Amino acid sequence: MSSRFPLFRKRDLLIFLLAAVLAGAGFLQWLPKSGAPVAVIEQDGKEIRRVELSSIPQPETLVLDGEISVTILLEPGQVSIIHSDCPDQICVNTGTLTRPGQSAVCLPARVSVRIVGENNSGIDGMTG
Amino acid sequence: MKSSAKFVAFTGILAALAVVLSLLENLLPPVPGMPPGAKLGLSNIVSMYAAGCVGFFPAMAISLVKGLFAFLTRGITAGLMSTAGGLFSTLIVWLLLKKLRFGLLGASAAGALAHNAAQLMIACLLTSSAVLYYAPILVLLGTASGILTGLALGVLLPPLEKLQRR
Repeated sequence: MSSRFPLFRKRDLLIFLLAAVLAGAGFLQWLPKSGAPVAVIEQDGKEIRRVELSSIPQPETLVLDGEISVTILLEPGQVSIIHSDCPDQICVNTGTLTRPGQSAVCLPARVSVRIVGENNSGIDGMTG
Repeated sequence: MKSSAKFVAFTGILAALAVVLSLLENLLPPVPGMPPGAKLGLSNIVSMYAAGCVGFFPAMAISLVKGLFAFLTRGITAGLMSTAGGLFSTLIVWLLLKKLRFGLLGASAAGALAHNAAQLMIACLLTSSAVLYYAPILVLLGTASGILTGLALGVLLPPLEKLQRR
């Protein structure tokens, strides 16, 4: 006998349409954004460092201590998470970030690094 | 289900099955290039079956057991994400399947999307909005895995329903 639940109904297409729209809208944020790339480093939801990538004079490592220690490497024009004590290493495997919109996240350590594009008009805030 | 003892035992078996399936899934090596949180969601087959054929509360209980298991074995972050994702996706699947009469594929895909959405929300609260970067890939992979688990349930349902009537 057949099941009470059919495998497919026409209304299921609504779900797939919604998924397509969501994915499309999401991919738009991946488009290269204008403005100077600025790295924003956050821990526990608090911003702890904001630096324009092109203004980094020489490579610098930033160690974020916590329950799980994370090491971030800031270089001229790029930033990467080079070490984390977390088990999954997703943040380290994300690699190097250079363009606005990119991000590396270590969930267990609650640390995130993301690149935002900042215009000189300073919409996201002035750094002085 | 005739007696309540049988009912509780059956729900317990389903919860165990869901836990074992998610455990097996975690043993699979991660595919390079896949974003965090992208999974097949094998245990969603079980929670979907429970939401459709056993009842709303047993299905929610199964999701809670799964969340508790994630908390015990993988820590508080994973526990929170698994619980939120499981409860929300079970709610959505139950609504679509039982109330709005969607098909298995649509309900399953929506459930997978709901799972990802709830997990992203938790990740967002715990860290920052940077995690939203992964959202579009999660939507695509979630829909794909939802279709796969929906197909699997479609194959499994007829014999399961026969079993349940005993």
